[in-house]
Amino acid sequence: MTQISDKPFHKSLGAATLLLRGPRRFWRHEFLPLLANLQVAIALLLVIAFFSIAGTVIEQGQSWDYYQEHYPEHPALFGFLTAQVLVAMGLDRVYSSWWYLTLLMLLAASLMACTWTRQMPMLRVARRWFYYQKPESIAKLPLHWAITQDTDSGIESLGQILRQRQFQVFCQEGRLYARRGLVGRIGPILVHVSLLLILAGAVWGATTGFLTQALVASGETFQLAQVLERGPWARIPQNWQVRVNRFWIEYSPSGAVEQFYSDLSVVDRQGQELKRETIQVNRPLRFDGVTFYQANWDLAAVKFTLNQSPVLQLPLTKLRSPQNGSQVWGTWIPTKTDLSAGVSLITPDMQGTFLIYDEAGQLQHTTHLGEGITINGITLTLREVVGATGLQIKSDPGVPLVYLGFALLMAGVVMSYVSYSQVWALTLNGVLHVGGKTNRAAVHFAEELGAIAETIPAAAPGTPIAHP
Amino acid sequence: MDLIGIQNILDNGAFATLLLTMALFWLGLAAPQTKLFTQLGTVGMAIANLGLAALLLARWLEAGYFPLSNLYESLLFIAWGVTLAGLGFQSQYPRVQDWIGSVTAPVALGIVAFAALSLPPSMQTAQPLVPALKSNWLMMHVSVMLLSYAALMTGSVVAIAFLWVTRGQSQVVLKGNSLGIIGSSSSGGLGLGDTLDNLSYRAIGLGFPLLTIGIVSGGVWANEAWGSYWSWDAKETWSLIVWLVFAAYLHTRITKGWQGRRPAIIASCGFLVVWVCYLGVNLLGKGLHSYGWFF
Repeated sequence: MTQISDKPFHKSLGAATLLLRGPRRFWRHEFLPLLANLQVAIALLLVIAFFSIAGTVIEQGQSWDYYQEHYPEHPALFGFLTAQVLVAMGLDRVYSSWWYLTLLMLLAASLMACTWTRQMPMLRVARRWFYYQKPESIAKLPLHWAITQDTDSGIESLGQILRQRQFQVFCQEGRLYARRGLVGRIGPILVHVSLLLILAGAVWGATTGFLTQALVASGETFQLAQVLERGPWARIPQNWQVRVNRFWIEYSPSGAVEQFYSDLSVVDRQGQELKRETIQVNRPLRFDGVTFYQANWDLAAVKFTLNQSPVLQLPLTKLRSPQNGSQVWGTWIPTKTDLSAGVSLITPDMQGTFLIYDEAGQLQHTTHLGEGITINGITLTLREVVGATGLQIKSDPGVPLVYLGFALLMAGVVMSYVSYSQVWALTLNGVLHVGGKTNRAAVHFAEELGAIAETIPAAAPGTPIAHP
Repeated sequence: MDLIGIQNILDNGAFATLLLTMALFWLGLAAPQTKLFTQLGTVGMAIANLGLAALLLARWLEAGYFPLSNLYESLLFIAWGVTLAGLGFQSQYPRVQDWIGSVTAPVALGIVAFAALSLPPSMQTAQPLVPALKSNWLMMHVSVMLLSYAALMTGSVVAIAFLWVTRGQSQVVLKGNSLGIIGSSSSGGLGLGDTLDNLSYRAIGLGFPLLTIGIVSGGVWANEAWGSYWSWDAKETWSLIVWLVFAAYLHTRITKGWQGRRPAIIASCGFLVVWVCYLGVNLLGKGLHSYGWFF
């Protein structure tokens, strides 16, 4: 029936000699069975798991200098792992290395081979049910009972009970077949197919998608001119641009960041607005197959007035503390027209508090946006901090395929939890033979079928058996 | 209502209850003829489960969002999940109640002890959520992941119990296995080894779909939030490793001639892998999943 007959691995070792006899024969009788071999599949899963660890231990995607610093020649880690070896083996980019991708391709091949040569035939067998004709066949089942009867109605009451327990029952001329949980047979097939869909979607996305980043100050417009990464068949839209109307940060009363916002407009070449949306973390803007994610931020400039001057603007520079890595933004504002004197302006965030230092590096004032302060006889009023939004821009045409795979995968694994249970029965010479088997919840099924067998009325002289 | 005070009572209470529960189950194993120990142990497990649920609920009320924002809360949630799995499987497999309790109670106890006793108070207080976590996906993704860890850990420790029970037997003949083939023909009455083996299989069979749904929901969330459903971040990669190890386990169960101890050995390795994925990656403190943990 649906037993899995596994060819032992060692029998496939004669593959090389068979290769000489003909490629087709090799393919069908040696290569496919080897790919579909369960032991090979298990080994493949564990090997992929093992090699995946490498990328979580070694920093990925760093520069050559980084690896040279951390994996020196003397002393080499474990006696061999120098920067040269590491990079040559692709351990700096494990998940895009040729050997990792080969393993994934082998997994995909194994999934296909297994689904095609093993699961589909098994499902076909499962759908084609049959009656057992001999009591000996039933006695070979993992669970079986022989109940003496004085009428032939026992098998019908068994069928009735099984129907109540959601079995699909077939009953004819003193023979019975019942099954439950065929979805448990379909589930694993669905899982395999969905994994293939996800892998295919990933390949499709990698070849036709692109990824880039942009740091854009409020009020500026940018176009998708250069991208960081692109697949060989990627299409990069050129007929529209994106304008950052405003970037701002919402702070909680305690000063912690609540949320980042970017008000974005998609505009065509004539400057016509096509779409406008305010994005935040977890809420991107989608347009023409391209998605804009809130990913990063920066401060671009500060606007201020000196006495009654028009609003002036100076760029802010990000400064990082060498001690603890905390960052601040700063600029220098001249307070004399010949630039011979000025103050340094420092702000830690976008909340509008500024520290003003004199030329000697002494803290002079703490000021807020809109407050005027007098320095060297000049009134400096800070008007606005211009933020810059860091956008992650991505196009991944493989996502629909991957999402379809995700949906089927979830359905498939849930279905795979269901036990596929079968019951056979046969009335012969006044004895009802009942047997059954299941593939997953063995303990539960043994108890269930045992309880059912006990409720079937056994022969008791003179007792009429209720006909259902 | 003093929620902080209640929380302190509840986490210490859960710890004490689980300690007592573990002792009762172990006594029940040592003295199988006295059913009282196991029955009291089950009551203790239920009290611990309710106590942990009340604790999480109190934090939910206090913070105003689902209590899965830091390590302390996620540990308590996992401990709650383990006690829930323990209770659930005890009712499904009444004949091995003592074994289920004896292995799940120490796991839950260890987790609660780590959370309540060794984490500094600063890490126990609820922190405001960072912007990236302000999403309904948080509840879905994190809670499903943690429940899957709880179910997988339960399955793994039962597999360890199975290895203990069948120690010294090189060839374990199981009556009920995934192939439906049997060594000897007898009706009903599966032995202790069989029952533990099947229980472990069912627990992992439950944890695996949960893990899959958790990973998928994480992928969808990441794609919606960051634009990439998979970025080979350390946590993601380790969750894939967990998935692969248990996928291998599920396949060993349908491999002819591999029933018995071999799948159980893989399942018990899975226990370690789950812990590396859950805690180890965060101890490294790298990657996208370091929010609100050791930072």
